[in-house]
Amino acid sequence: MLVEFELIERARSGDDSAFNQIVQAYRKRILGTISRTIGRPEDVEDVGQEVFLRLYYSLDQLRTPEVFEPWLYRLTVNAAYDYLRRQRRRQESRMSDLSEQQVMLADAAAGGKRQDEEQRRTKVRELAQSLLGQVSEEDRILLTLKEVEGLSLKELEKIYRVNENALKVRLFRARQRVLKAFGAQENKEAAAKAGFSRADDSE
Amino acid sequence: MDRMSRMDDKVDALFAEYRMACPDPEPSADFMPAMWRRIEARRVATVSVFRHWAQVCVMATVALTILIGAVLIPKFQNNAAYSSSYLEALSAEHSADYIHMLAGGPR
Repeated sequence: MLVEFELIERARSGDDSAFNQIVQAYRKRILGTISRTIGRPEDVEDVGQEVFLRLYYSLDQLRTPEVFEPWLYRLTVNAAYDYLRRQRRRQESRMSDLSEQQVMLADAAAGGKRQDEEQRRTKVRELAQSLLGQVSEEDRILLTLKEVEGLSLKELEKIYRVNENALKVRLFRARQRVLKAFGAQENKEAAAKAGFSRADDSE
Repeated sequence: MDRMSRMDDKVDALFAEYRMACPDPEPSADFMPAMWRRIEARRVATVSVFRHWAQVCVMATVALTILIGAVLIPKFQNNAAYSSSYLEALSAEHSADYIHMLAGGPR
């Protein structure tokens, strides 16, 4: 816990300064989780504010301060899910954005430009996000919390309020889909490399 | 099978790298003020919804009162049963009985 139970109790009873302190303690962590879940840096703060807005208006429903963190994560999951669903409508334009970025990266690499650390990170981000984009919004969030955020099954059980076996099944299926997409990506890259080397040979 | 486990390892490594490639972002200076503005906006919206419903309820109550006062009450007051006194209504109802009783006829 990043804050004392007493602070949560004060915020529950309507103390705005206590609520402010809670937000300040958790905002960075929550923004990080959102950032890795939705993959759109420009919208992270907006979704983060939505999480804390929901927290403010639902804090009185919190049974005990002990369950505060799973509660906050549940609100984060719900806000990220709502965002991803809204974004699905704009997916076509988003795909064209991504492909444009990928073309730019490929151009940079083909032009023999130095691939610095930031470019490598960008590539990792894009690949991970495109793989996570292969599963449903719910599974994407679940997989991110487990595989990227490193939450345990026990913690996920508290957040999702479902039993461990159900979570394991969902995680297994989601991971299988990601692996399949990863395999397809590898095959595509291998085919592209083979084509590229054939073109070199013919020259 | 070997390919699957190799891919499993690669995906694990990719997710670990992804975690490092996306560090927790620093909130902007406007994060807290913008959040409080949104909280306040929601509060105002909620209050205005309640106010709107309260106004609708008051209007409906006034309309119902006017309807009762202007239409229903005069309608019942014009009824014959209410325009005569109790004794008049009673005598009108049983006048034939009194005639029979006075004449010594059947009850």
